[in-house]
Amino acid sequence: MSDSMKTIGADLLKAFNTGVSYMMPIVVVGGVFLALSLASGDATAGEGMVVTNPFLKNLGDIGMAGFAMMIPVLSGYIAYSLAGKPGLTPGFVTGYLASVPIGENHVQTGFLGAMLLGILSGYVARWLKKKKVSPTLMAIMPILVIPILATFTVSMIYIYLLVTPIGFFMQWLIGALSGLQGGSALLIGIIVGAMAAFDMGGPINKTATGFTLALMAEGIYGPNGAYRIAVAIPPLGLALSTFISRKKWEAADRNMGVSAAFMGLIGITEGAIPFAVKGLKTVLPSIIIGSAVGAGLGMLHGVECMVPHGGLIVLPAVNQAPFWYAVDMLIGTVVTAGCLHVLRPDIKQSEEQAACPAPSSQAG
Amino acid sequence: MKIVGVAACITGVAHTYMAQEAIEQECKKRGIDCKVETQGGMGIENELEEEEVNAADAVILAVAIGIEGEDRFEEKEEEGRVLTMNPSEVIRNPEAAVDRVLALVG
Repeated sequence: MSDSMKTIGADLLKAFNTGVSYMMPIVVVGGVFLALSLASGDATAGEGMVVTNPFLKNLGDIGMAGFAMMIPVLSGYIAYSLAGKPGLTPGFVTGYLASVPIGENHVQTGFLGAMLLGILSGYVARWLKKKKVSPTLMAIMPILVIPILATFTVSMIYIYLLVTPIGFFMQWLIGALSGLQGGSALLIGIIVGAMAAFDMGGPINKTATGFTLALMAEGIYGPNGAYRIAVAIPPLGLALSTFISRKKWEAADRNMGVSAAFMGLIGITEGAIPFAVKGLKTVLPSIIIGSAVGAGLGMLHGVECMVPHGGLIVLPAVNQAPFWYAVDMLIGTVVTAGCLHVLRPDIKQSEEQAACPAPSSQAG
Repeated sequence: MKIVGVAACITGVAHTYMAQEAIEQECKKRGIDCKVETQGGMGIENELEEEEVNAADAVILAVAIGIEGEDRFEEKEEEGRVLTMNPSEVIRNPEAAVDRVLALVG
C-alpha cells in the first residue's frame, strides 16, 4: 500500500515537472510580449492599461496568445508524462476547458484546475491504453476510441462534479464579500489579498476581481487599490526569494526569477505559476500571506486605484496614497520572500527526498 | 558490457548535459561501452538507435520529467534492467549511479 502510494507520488512529481518543463518557455513568451506592450500603455480610469500604438498592441496580442496556451500545455504535458502520446489530446482539450469560463456560472479554474485535469486525463488515458481489445478494434484505439472516451470522461467529471459545486461556492463567496462591505477595511484587504494569490486566475481570484470591479462601478476604489497591490506580490516575492535565498532554489528556478520580477512589476500574477506548480506546499502559503499583508496595509493606508490593472506600472493611476501603494507592495514582497525562506528546505535535502523510488529491483 | 541511457532535466539547459557527461566519463573510466541520449531544451540529441537499445545490457534513465520514446525500454524494464534516477543525483555521485546499474546486470 505505502509502496504503491510512493510510486504514485513519484509519478505525479515527474508529471508536474514535465508540465512545467514544457510550459516555462511559453510563460516567458507571454510575459515578455505582454510586458513590452503594457509598459507602453496609459493607465486609464475604468479601463486598465490602454495601449494605443498599433504595433505594441499587436505585441500585446502575441503575449495574450502565449498566456492562453500556457494552461492547456501544462495539463497536456502532465497527462503526457503519465500516459505518453494518448494523454496529450485529453490533456490539451480539458486544460483549455480549465482556462476558459465554463458552465452556467462561468467558472474558470486556471492552473490548479489544469493540474487536476492533467492528472485525470493521464490516468484515464493510461488505463484505456492498457485495455486488451480485439485486433480490429486495436487499429482505431489510438485515433478514435482513446481520445474520445478519455476527453469525454474527464470533461464530464470536471464539468458536473467540479465546476458546478465551485460555481455555487463562488456565488456564496460573492454574497459573503458584499456582506463585508462597510465593515473592517483591514479585513476586506486581507481577504481580497489572500484571494488574489490563492489560485492566480482561478475561481477564487476571479471572484475577488469581480468584487473589486463591482465596487468600482459604485465609485469605491479602495478595495481595488488593495487588490492591485496584491496581484503583483506573488511574482515579486518569488523573484526576491530566488535572489536572496539562493540555496533554496534550483538553477533553473533562479533564472526564472528575473522574468518573474518583470511580470510582477507590470501586474501579471501568472509569473508565479511555474513556481507554484512545482512547490504548492511552500509557495502557496507564502504568496497568500504576502498578498494578504500587502492588501491589508493598502486598505489601512487608504490606497485607491482607478484602473482595473495591477503592478507598479499603474502607479500614475493610483489617485490616493500612491506612496503607500508602492511601499505596501514592497512590504508584501518582503513578507513572501521571508515566508519562503522559512518554509523551503535547502535544495540538497529536498532533491534527495524528491528522488526516484529507492533501489528497486535487484532481480537481474 | 554496454550501457545506454537517457538524460533529461526540467529546463533542459544544464543538468541534462551534465548528467550525460557524468555517466559517459564514469563508464569510460571503467572501460564500459556507453551511449547517453539527451532530451533537453533543444529536443532529442545523440538519439539511441533501436539496435543499440536491444544490444544494451542495462539502461540508466537520468530523468526528472516524462521522456519521449519511453516505450523503447519496455522490454528491458520487464527484465529488471532499467534504473531510473534523478539527474542531479547522478551528477553528484556518478560512481554510485553506475554501481547501481551494474548491480542490475548481476
